[in-house]
Amino acid sequence: MEHAFFIVMGIAIPLYLSAIVIYAIRAIRGPTVPDIILAVDCISFDIAAFMAVLAIYFKSVFLIGAPIILALWAYLLDMYVAKLLVSKEEER
Amino acid sequence: MSTVLFALGSAMILIGGLCDLFGAIGLLRFPNFFLRLHAATVGTIGGAVVPLFGVSLVALGSDFLGSMRYPIAGASAITAIIVLLVAPAGSHILAYAAHKAKLIKWKKVCDHLEAKKP
Repeated sequence: MEHAFFIVMGIAIPLYLSAIVIYAIRAIRGPTVPDIILAVDCISFDIAAFMAVLAIYFKSVFLIGAPIILALWAYLLDMYVAKLLVSKEEER
Repeated sequence: MSTVLFALGSAMILIGGLCDLFGAIGLLRFPNFFLRLHAATVGTIGGAVVPLFGVSLVALGSDFLGSMRYPIAGASAITAIIVLLVAPAGSHILAYAAHKAKLIKWKKVCDHLEAKKP
């Protein structure tokens, strides 16, 4: 069963890594601020899922605690940026 | 039983990788922010929630993890529920703020949020 999981990982790792690279291209090129924040958001949710897959790959319990914090950080970034944009608009 | 759980979880991890790639391509190719939001939803719900549930099924079904599989399964299921609640809320407040700050120029067909203003 471990061998079968290594075959699955051989297909899954390039998919996740190429998705993260394409998100990073959008995060660098993004014309407005919400585009950049959306791309960073997607990158962090992706890394959370990828880290949970790696926890099985490396057979480690310590890797599985991080995705919870990472998902909540992404939400925090969203909220702060949205608050900043709305408050900028109200000052005008 | 464990073989069924392992096969189901592996299929969910692979579906998650594919959804992730499609969401990333959509985020790169769509023309403005409000269309990119749609692709980002594919990337987060299909690309993070589905593989996290898949990881929890794989961890329950794999014997080579030993007693380590229960913490991995529980924590990844909790992370999946958190992402399922948090990602739509985050993208929604971001869309609301971007619309309110008038940052994005796009060709409008219909804008109910604009019409509500006095």
